[in-house]
Amino acid sequence: MKKIVALILALTLAGMMLTGCGTKNTTFQIALITDKGNIDDKSFNQGSWEGVVAFCEENDIKDYQYIKPEDASDTGYLAAIDNAVTAGAKVIVTPGFLFEVPVYEAQTKYPDVKFILLDGAPHTADYAYETKSNVASIMYAEEQSGYLAGYAAVKDGYTKLGFMGGMAVPAVVAFGYGYLQGAEAAAAELGLADGSVAVTYHYTGDFAETDTNKATAKTMYQEGTQVIFACGGSVGKSVMSAASEANGKVIGVDVDQRYDSETVITSATKGLGASVKTVLESIYKTDSWDTYAGKTTYFNASNAGVGLPTVVIGDDKADAFGRFNSFDKAAYDAVYATLADGSVSLVRTLTVADPNGIATADELTTGLNLKKIAITTR
Amino acid sequence: MQNNQVSPKFKDKITGITKSKAISTFTAALLAIALGLIFGFIVMIVAKPENSWYGFTTMLFGGFRRLGDVFYYATPILMTGLSVGFAFKMGLFNIGASGQYTMGLFFALYAGFMWELPTGIHWIVCILAGMVGGMIWGFIPGICKALFNVNEVITSIMFNYIGMYLVDMWVQDNATIYISSKTRTAYLPASAQIPSLGVTNSNVNFSIIIAITLAVILYIVLNKTTFGYELRATGFNKHASKYAGMNDKRNTILTMLIAGAFAGLGGAFAILAPSTIAGSSMTYEPINVIAANGFNGIAVALLGSSNPIGIIFSAIFISHIQRGGTIVSSLFGYKPEIIDVVIAVIIYFSAFAMLMNSNIARMVRKRRLAKEESGSVNSNRKQNRKGA
Amino acid sequence: MENYIIEMLHITKEFPGIIANDDITLQLKKGEIHALLGENGAGKSTLMSVLFGLHQAEKGDIKKNGEVVRVNNPKDANNLGIGMVHQHFKLVEIFTVLENIVLGVEPSKVGFLQKKEAREKVIQLSKKYGLHVDPDAIVEKISVGMQQRVEILKMLYRENDILIFDEPTAVLTPQEIDELMDIMRGFAKEGKSILFITHKLNEIMSVADRCTVLRKGKCIGTVEIKDTTKEELSRMMVGRDVNFVVEKLKERVGDVVLQVNNVTVPSKVSKKDAVKDISFEVRAGEIVCLAGIEGNGQSELISAITGLEKMSKGKVALCGKDITKAPIRVRTKAGISHIPEDRHKHGLVLDYSLEDNMVLQRYWQPEFHRAGFIKRQAVRSYADGLIKQYDVRSSQGALTITREMSGGNQQKAIIAREIDKDHKLLIAVQPTRGLDVGAIEFIHKQLVATRDAGKAVLLMSLELDEVMEVSDRILVMYEGEIVGELNPKEITVQELGLYMSGAKRNMEKEKSYAE
Repeated sequence: MKKIVALILALTLAGMMLTGCGTKNTTFQIALITDKGNIDDKSFNQGSWEGVVAFCEENDIKDYQYIKPEDASDTGYLAAIDNAVTAGAKVIVTPGFLFEVPVYEAQTKYPDVKFILLDGAPHTADYAYETKSNVASIMYAEEQSGYLAGYAAVKDGYTKLGFMGGMAVPAVVAFGYGYLQGAEAAAAELGLADGSVAVTYHYTGDFAETDTNKATAKTMYQEGTQVIFACGGSVGKSVMSAASEANGKVIGVDVDQRYDSETVITSATKGLGASVKTVLESIYKTDSWDTYAGKTTYFNASNAGVGLPTVVIGDDKADAFGRFNSFDKAAYDAVYATLADGSVSLVRTLTVADPNGIATADELTTGLNLKKIAITTR
Repeated sequence: MQNNQVSPKFKDKITGITKSKAISTFTAALLAIALGLIFGFIVMIVAKPENSWYGFTTMLFGGFRRLGDVFYYATPILMTGLSVGFAFKMGLFNIGASGQYTMGLFFALYAGFMWELPTGIHWIVCILAGMVGGMIWGFIPGICKALFNVNEVITSIMFNYIGMYLVDMWVQDNATIYISSKTRTAYLPASAQIPSLGVTNSNVNFSIIIAITLAVILYIVLNKTTFGYELRATGFNKHASKYAGMNDKRNTILTMLIAGAFAGLGGAFAILAPSTIAGSSMTYEPINVIAANGFNGIAVALLGSSNPIGIIFSAIFISHIQRGGTIVSSLFGYKPEIIDVVIAVIIYFSAFAMLMNSNIARMVRKRRLAKEESGSVNSNRKQNRKGA
Repeated sequence: MENYIIEMLHITKEFPGIIANDDITLQLKKGEIHALLGENGAGKSTLMSVLFGLHQAEKGDIKKNGEVVRVNNPKDANNLGIGMVHQHFKLVEIFTVLENIVLGVEPSKVGFLQKKEAREKVIQLSKKYGLHVDPDAIVEKISVGMQQRVEILKMLYRENDILIFDEPTAVLTPQEIDELMDIMRGFAKEGKSILFITHKLNEIMSVADRCTVLRKGKCIGTVEIKDTTKEELSRMMVGRDVNFVVEKLKERVGDVVLQVNNVTVPSKVSKKDAVKDISFEVRAGEIVCLAGIEGNGQSELISAITGLEKMSKGKVALCGKDITKAPIRVRTKAGISHIPEDRHKHGLVLDYSLEDNMVLQRYWQPEFHRAGFIKRQAVRSYADGLIKQYDVRSSQGALTITREMSGGNQQKAIIAREIDKDHKLLIAVQPTRGLDVGAIEFIHKQLVATRDAGKAVLLMSLELDEVMEVSDRILVMYEGEIVGELNPKEITVQELGLYMSGAKRNMEKEKSYAE
């Protein structure tokens, strides 16, 4: 025992001597605050962090860092921002809408610091929105992402599709409309007969993993639906578990959800990394921060702001399209190009009668000009 | 002359103090912490040698720059620490502090959202509701232990899960409490939030004062009352307490009830904390995760030797190290995960060393006393053998 | 120059804080029985541990046949021919006798156990020395006496010629003790040398050739038994004169205090009943002793009376009041004081201070608390009073943690507590177990004083001397039944031994005495 103690003491002393003359502080100019999850969450944290890393490596910036809040609350996020600023951060990336309120506070508190708020816009706790000139609020053209997913599904041979959104909030609605338009486009390209693609369209009314949602998804699968686009946070988990029981397929949302379930064939993702990188470039390279400052900017196919996953994280050789029957990278690139060059324009919003924003089948068919697709709402 | 008479007396007093149990436990705790720190430092050296010394000192002293937060984050683990430590005094291992914490949190949330009460009363009611929630969740394992002799470790582990899933379910089913588009609870009304102590940039609030007061009360109950006498006797020696005719069943239930109340209060204190952002509040995310604060309470209780006063210090110490750690991870280029590891190493090495240490301290004290006890060669030798 | 086979010269063994052996010299002649006498904790076991290689001495030498040897572990000791029968047998309970004997020195051929060879050797040895064992019996199922014989055979099997017996008689009946003495004499005659550790003077006087006395870690001297007396030895051991005879007046028996009717207590270890349909009574002013070999139901009977365990049948009444189903606290209040069998398990909260232990049976009384808050002053002064009255010694008085006290003083504390408490019946279970002569003397006096004060005393003891000296009436238990009710003045130890071993049972004749 004595020997062990002596050894430890010796090691410690040696360590002190070795390290005593080291640098005192490291500062960094780019910081990312993680939300409740870890940096390797294969979701918002990781997606945005990859953008930061890619940018910094390309531009030989060494001083970047991510910070984990002590507390997953508004004040916890704000405190993490405080820490980042103390450490010298000039640009702070905040992934996700959970940061809307903290960034609202921080934009006034630190007018000299630039904030990149992904998938959200700063507002007070009472939803009074204001985006100051030191904040870039980044949103994504969800309809394009949904379009790609719907297109891919029909192109891949699926003819009985489903959509399960959370609530009819703008992002979810946009995903859904894009999905329908994508399916329509693919059906038209394939020369299918009118009404030959059936889509069951459903809003769950919540964003939770519940037995009701699972039961709904299961019923849809049992009624013949082959693939469901699960578009509502934790609703996805319900759909995935229903899919694995009913042998169905799922299209994920926001980030590549292939890692959550084998049933996920693809995901309608937001280009978190690409958008972070673009905005960082506007600050450091092109000196065009004003393009994004003080407002909400939608990222779309033209700047890699949306897409289906093209790589599998952690496995360079794996084929991200491997879970499709026939749809592949080439087909994807082709359709992506039509979005990127603006030759296809999509409807993002419709005016509907329902006060909650839930469109009827007729409204959808007429509004989106659907012919090949027969819609049933639930 | 007088001086000569005074000084030996004084000397006696000094030696008396240093030999007292509290002091040697305290020394043991310091030793334990020192050991934990050394190991923590080693991890830091391995992870990033060039910054390790400044990083380490910042970890040790950085908390002083954020005293408000140190106390704010110490509050819930102080409560769960008391919960675990108190039950431990009775010989019960309340590993269910997490479940009781979550239950308390929900009861407080419910009272916060569903009951409209005047400012100044609302938050007190919410705290009490949280306490009741925790009590219920402590009571059931207590009953199972007392009446059916079901091991409290098993029931309380199960109740961690049952409590967590129930609460997550209840929260998600309640449209007033839950905002499903944000997968978390809504902002609590200001009247339900515990008054802040007004430290800038910190959520530290009145609950830390309640928590410390409760720890002191608990100390008094344990050490000055017949109830505490019975509890500790049972914890030290179940058989002797039975022999002395103590009501083991009643005491088991009461202990778990009180332990649950403390953990429940911890949950209430956590969720009812005020926010430095106007209109905002703490939120709860029903994401099927068992509350870590409950388990941290075990480390707090271990480091505090289950002594309520010790638990106050150990909770503050752990919180202090964590706050320092946060600064280190942002200032010295350590990955937050490495700092988490370092903190865990410090806390758990300290806690386990504490366990070992208190035995060692007891042995050292015994040997020292042995010399003094008249004709005690015999008894000592026996004890030494037992110790070995 | 004497011919010593083993010499331990100027052995000093320190443990941190204390000197367990201080310059002790012990010389063992070939073919002698050498007793090592001392009170509990005098350093006997440490000295033997040094010889057996379990501890290493700081100073001093061990010589065999005049040559210095080193004993670093029991294996070295074995190679030197030293064998030891430990106080607590070191046998593998689920192995057979034969397997235990050969354990560690199994004769084998290319890895296969040669049982036949071993068996023959064991049978031969057991015949030669009269050590009757059944080689195929499972150890946990044989009697304590036979287990001891297995231990002895283990030594013989290893061809040891220096045999250490550590308190071998503690677990034996008088008959078995006599047998053991004969066996030891046989060994000595054969030229084997025997070290016999004990604190029982009678045994030394009857069997040993010489005796070395230790006291508080120091060697007091070595004497020839034929030149000494029991009194002389005890004076060397304790350091003062000891009164072996318990002085007591004739009992003045009063009313029935404890009435036990047809009590049956189930056993915890087997499906059988540990206590079978027992009835007896204890009257005020008498000491009734439950005698018997350990494990014949005495403990269970006491537990049933005190309420620690439940009985399945029968009734217990205290002063006419039925307490069969009463909780322990109620029994305490009704007037039962209980000196428990295991003072560490039941009698004390070892981590509590002495004063807290002193009020263990009465902290709930109004004089010791106000509205649930303990009156520290009252407790302190009460404890101080008891400490003074019963001469309980400790380093820090009332504040000493009881774990740090010596066994004798712990027991004194319990006795003080139980006797001072208002009671009608004192139940004392093995009150002198493991204590030294001085403490035993004190406790016996207290028991007699309690009886003379008109209380009923129920004593359970395994020590025959105690049974014979202290009690007014003896109830012998064998296999859960009372097989004899005896008057200690009318019987001999040998006769008592016959009852205890179940060889004799005669309730009817003796019962007439009690009426």
